[in-house]
Amino acid sequence: MKKIELLSPAGDLERLKVTLLYGADAVYIGGEKYNLRANANNFNLEEIKEACSFAHNLGKKVHLTLNIVFHNEDMSGVEEYINDAVSAGIDAFIVSDPFIINYIKSNFPRVEVHLSTQNSTSNYKAIEYFEHEGIDRVVLARELSKKQIKEIIDKVHCDIEVFIHGAMCTCFSGRCALSNYVTNRDANRGGCAQVCRFAFENGNNKEFTMALKDMNMAEYIGDLIEIGVRSLKVEGRMRSLYYLATVIGTYREIIDNYYAGTLDDDKMEVFQERLDRVANRETSTHYFMKEADYTDQYYSGRSEVSNQDYLGQVISYENNLLKFYERNYFEVGDLVEVFTPQGIHFAFVVEELFDEDMNKMDVARHPDNIYYLKVDSDIQIPEYSMIKIVERKNN
Amino acid sequence: MKLLIEPSTKNNLYSDYADGIILPLENYAVESIISFSLAEIKKITKNSDCEVFIKINKNLLNEDIDDLTNILKELDKLNITGIFFYDLAVLELKNELKLKTDLVWNQTHMVNNYRTCDYYFNHGVKYALLGKEITLDEIIEIINKSKITSIVEVVSKPSVAFSKRKLVTNYYKDLGKTVSNDIIVKEKITDSNYEFIEDNNGTSIFLDKITNGTVIIKELYDNNCQYIIFKEYGINDFKELVIDTMNYIRSHCEDERYVSKYSKLGDSTNFFFKKTIYKVKK
Repeated sequence: MKKIELLSPAGDLERLKVTLLYGADAVYIGGEKYNLRANANNFNLEEIKEACSFAHNLGKKVHLTLNIVFHNEDMSGVEEYINDAVSAGIDAFIVSDPFIINYIKSNFPRVEVHLSTQNSTSNYKAIEYFEHEGIDRVVLARELSKKQIKEIIDKVHCDIEVFIHGAMCTCFSGRCALSNYVTNRDANRGGCAQVCRFAFENGNNKEFTMALKDMNMAEYIGDLIEIGVRSLKVEGRMRSLYYLATVIGTYREIIDNYYAGTLDDDKMEVFQERLDRVANRETSTHYFMKEADYTDQYYSGRSEVSNQDYLGQVISYENNLLKFYERNYFEVGDLVEVFTPQGIHFAFVVEELFDEDMNKMDVARHPDNIYYLKVDSDIQIPEYSMIKIVERKNN
Repeated sequence: MKLLIEPSTKNNLYSDYADGIILPLENYAVESIISFSLAEIKKITKNSDCEVFIKINKNLLNEDIDDLTNILKELDKLNITGIFFYDLAVLELKNELKLKTDLVWNQTHMVNNYRTCDYYFNHGVKYALLGKEITLDEIIEIINKSKITSIVEVVSKPSVAFSKRKLVTNYYKDLGKTVSNDIIVKEKITDSNYEFIEDNNGTSIFLDKITNGTVIIKELYDNNCQYIIFKEYGINDFKELVIDTMNYIRSHCEDERYVSKYSKLGDSTNFFFKKTIYKVKK
């Protein structure tokens, strides 16, 4: 059995490196044009080259999103853009508008074409249509059950990719223009203002919302492997390094433990807790095991949680001194945990903390400043390891 | 140029007044106010001289395919001008079953450029219902550059989104109440109302404002647009509007009184003269 792919988002080069180091098998990125996150940082051509080079050196892949719904004015230069991206080393394009498929497959047969979830493909017969067009993979609609996904996989030949984690659209992807009407920002060209998270008013000043809880499929990774899903996709090209390191690292461990036959309830509890800690919304499995209902949505009076667990990003570890960029306040006496891209987690109480000039400090309170921690450990702690809070001494 | 009507009741289909009608198919049409069973469609096609289009625009599931296959075979025996489709399964089934009935590419917010229109034309699709979020200039460019026969929705309460979720039921359930009816909610920033209408397929969301495109009909006519659509839902004195519009088209859109008479119809010209943006960062 071919091992399932863990596919991570990456909003910039640093995120790409982190997610690949933390265990993603492939990443999806947006270029400077034609992608559905027009207001993210996105990758220029040089960065795409570097991204591909970095990924390929690790034996991993880079997918480029090309999934806007084109207007007449957008089409000029798209072939040249595709040519350049292929030269830069892109392994696959994620497309929504079908006129592009034939151009890519005719000119670059080694490059894969994946049909975006923007098409909300939800049945095997539609996939058969796209198979005739040469599509290599379909990212399914997020509105499908396990039974429906399995039936699709049993009946089609191309790879099937599903979302497993992250924010959800209330409406079918591609079938929502609320952003256009409310904010004049084109949802299907990368300008979505997430109007489905706005609060509306239902007469008498009563609030009406339709926002969804996030998706978390951690407990069903084994099911997805068994029914033959090819790729597990995490949402969030605009998410933080810490979030991506935690989520991708955790799913890497879940997948590897599943294949090794070592995934038990105790481990799952730890994994789920890690995922829950970085979530800023409640989560659900939505349609996977039941028809989605009112428990999968938010209504009035909800506020999103801002997580302050992330304390620092490791720069190096030498002579028992852990050098890091500070991200959130902590102090001597706090119980913290370091976790590495290799999946090593170890906790310790902060005993000695220094600023960049090696002055002894009681607290780290300046985000982005460099600090040092004294750590008594023989464990390798490479760059891009993360430090997070376990328990504050003054709790 | 022909005028197609999507009626909002079964009492008056406007088949005697307009060039054609659009009938949403029961269980397979969304973003519509009413729907028609196959038996009703058979009866209507038998008794109508106008063009009849069928709307099958839900996101299909595996379990729909067998039933839909049978329905498409039945529809193919009728005198149907075209089938509006959203899901590519419909196109695949047309090819597999070698159906003669023409199709209308109707992927609501995605029909926005001439190259994709031509892509579908080259794959056997005769018509395209253009997106409602593009400008008149973009519409004209598509009509002029694509080989597909373009259809433009000109007067309607526009559908703006569709969810598989039961958003009205869920809302009331959270409040501990049962659903009494569909709901209209206000978006506070724009002070615009949106209507949520739920059925077994999910929830259709409509802007509670009438798009009045009567002012663009002449330009569409002059550019050889073949079809325009009026949707009855939410529009008063609709029969008079249909009759006047048919006369206006027959006059080669030269009668200025028509435009003047309907200048106050509805609240908006939607995106006909307003371009959307998508980059907000400097």
